[in-house]
Amino acid sequence: MTAPTTPPVYEVRNVGKSYGKLVALDNVSLALHPREVVALVGDNGAGKSTLVRILSGANRPDSGEILLDGEPREWASPHDALEAGIETLYQDSGIAPDLTVADNIFLGREILRKGLLGRLGFLDEPAMRRRAGDELAKVGVSVPSAGRPVAELSGGQRQGVAIGRAVAWARKIIILDEPTNHLGARQAAEVLEIIRKARARGLAVVFITHTLPHVFAVTDRVVVLRLGRIVADAPTASFTPDTLLKAITGLSEVPAN
Amino acid sequence: MTSEANSTKNAANGAPVRTFIDRQDLILMVILAGMIAIFSILNPRFFSLPALSNVLGDFGPVMLMAIGQTYVVISRGIDLSVGSILGLSGVVMALVVRDMNAAGYAAGLSISTGLLACLAVGVVCGLVNGLLITRARLVPFIATLATMGAAAGLSIVLTGGAQVAGAPRELILIGNKTFLGTFTIPVIAALVITAIAWVFLRYSRFGRWTYAIGSNEFAARGAGINVSRHLVKVYVLSGVMAALAGAFVYFRLGSGSPLSGRGGELTAIAATVIGGVSLHGGIGKLSGVILGALITTTVISGLIMVRVEPNWQQVVVAFLIAFAVGMQGFTKSGARK
Repeated sequence: MTAPTTPPVYEVRNVGKSYGKLVALDNVSLALHPREVVALVGDNGAGKSTLVRILSGANRPDSGEILLDGEPREWASPHDALEAGIETLYQDSGIAPDLTVADNIFLGREILRKGLLGRLGFLDEPAMRRRAGDELAKVGVSVPSAGRPVAELSGGQRQGVAIGRAVAWARKIIILDEPTNHLGARQAAEVLEIIRKARARGLAVVFITHTLPHVFAVTDRVVVLRLGRIVADAPTASFTPDTLLKAITGLSEVPAN
Repeated sequence: MTSEANSTKNAANGAPVRTFIDRQDLILMVILAGMIAIFSILNPRFFSLPALSNVLGDFGPVMLMAIGQTYVVISRGIDLSVGSILGLSGVVMALVVRDMNAAGYAAGLSISTGLLACLAVGVVCGLVNGLLITRARLVPFIATLATMGAAAGLSIVLTGGAQVAGAPRELILIGNKTFLGTFTIPVIAALVITAIAWVFLRYSRFGRWTYAIGSNEFAARGAGINVSRHLVKVYVLSGVMAALAGAFVYFRLGSGSPLSGRGGELTAIAATVIGGVSLHGGIGKLSGVILGALITTTVISGLIMVRVEPNWQQVVVAFLIAFAVGMQGFTKSGARK
C-alpha cells in the first residue's frame, strides 16, 4: 500500500455487492487522492463495473461505507454523486449523437435565459455554445464548432467531447470507464493527455482500461481486481508489464514490493 | 483532435445547424404544392376558400395529435392510443355538456366543465401510458396498444355505441363561425398551440431533454436527467394533445361519436414520419410535422373531392407511412451512425 501524502478525497471501505448468489464485490476498500490517477484493472467479470457503479452512485453497496472528504455519504442516485462533484464517463455511451456539442456539454445543467423566458425553461443557446467552447479548450479538447451535432464529428472528437464534458464538470473525482476503447493510437494519446491535464487541475482520476501500456503511460497507482476482490494496490512504478499481467490473471498474487 | 476537423466530410459543407426551415422542409413544401395543384386540376373547387376551410378543419385534430406524437417519437417511443383518446375524450366532453345543458346550467359553464373533463381524460390516459412504460417497463408499442384498446372500449361502453348529441347552440357557434371565411376558433386555437409546441420543442430545456433521451437514453441518465419522470410527462403531453383534438372535433360537429378517433393514430403517425421525425428517436422538427400533417389532410380531403371511395383513405395513409419511413432510410436525417 502507498503512503498517501494527502488525505483521501473519496474512499470506499469494506464494500460488498452481490447479485443473487453471485458475489460481485467482496470486502473492497479503495482510497482516492487529489492529483492522483489510479488505474483500475482486472479481467472481465472481476468486478470493475460494479465498483464503478458504486463509486458513481448508480448502485448502492450491500455493505460497507462511502466517504467523501472523510464524511460518510450515501448516494440515492447518480445525480447525488454528480452534485457532490463526482463525474463518471461510462463505456461508449456518454454522449447523445443527435445533440450539438454544446448541448452535450450542458446536458442536465442547461443555462436558461434570464427573466420570464428562463422560468418557462427556455435555453440560452449562445451562452451555452460560447462556454462549451471555453470549457473544452480549458481541458485540452478542441472541436470544430460547439454548435455542430456530435454525430458529425469523428470518433476521436466524440470521445474528446465526452471526456471533456466529464473533466470540465468534475470538481473532485472523475471516473473514466475504458475511455480509450476503439480509438486509434493518436486519439488515445490525446485522451491520455486530457487525463494528465485533469490531474494537474487537482482531480482524482479513476482510469479503467484493458490496455496496459496506457496504464504505464499515465497512472500513478494501480488497483487490480480479481473475482470481486482487490488483489493488488501499489504504485504503478512498482509493476512491470509482466508482474501486472500476472496480478490480473492470478498467476501471481502480489506484486514484487 | 483538431486536425481531424477538416477530414470530417460534413464539416466541409458548413451548413448552419438547425435553421428554422431547411432543405427537407422545402422538399415537403414542393410535394404539398404539387398535390394541391393536382387536386385542383382534377376538381377546380378544391382550390377555394370553403375547401381550404375544410382542409383546415381536418388538419386541426391531426396536427394536435401529431404534436404529441412528435414529442413521443423523438423520445424514441410511439403512441398508438391517440386516436382512441380523441374518441373517448370527445365522448366524455359531449356527455358532460349534454347532461349539464339538460340540467339547465349556463352554456358557458357546461362547455368549460366539459372541456376540463375532456382534458382530464387526456391526462389520465397519458399517465397510464407513461406509468406502464416507466414503471411496468412495457415497451411503448404494447403499453399504448393496451391504452388504445381500453379507451376505445370505454367510449363504446359510455355511449352504447351511439352518437352523443345535445350540445347547446353556443358550442356549435364557437366551433363553426369562421373568420376571413376560413378560420374557425378551434382552427385558430390549434394553430396557436402548434406554434407554442414548436418553439417549446426547439428552444426549451424540456424539448432538449426529449431529444437527449431519444438520442441516447443512457447518456441522458448519466447527465442526471430523471428519464422516467420526463417520459411520463411526454406521454401526458401526448394524451392532452389527443384530448384537445377530441374537443376540436366535438366543437366542429356538435356531437361526440365513439368512432370519431378511429384510425387517428395512423394519420398522426403519418404526419409525424412524413414530417421527417425519425422512429429511432432524437431527430425531428415540428416545422416538418406541420407540413406532414398538411400533406396527410390534403390527401384525405383531396381524395374525397375527386370522389375516391372514403374507405381508400386509410389505405393511402398507410401507404404514405410506409413510403415516408422507407425514404428516411435513404436520407441523412433518418440515418444513424
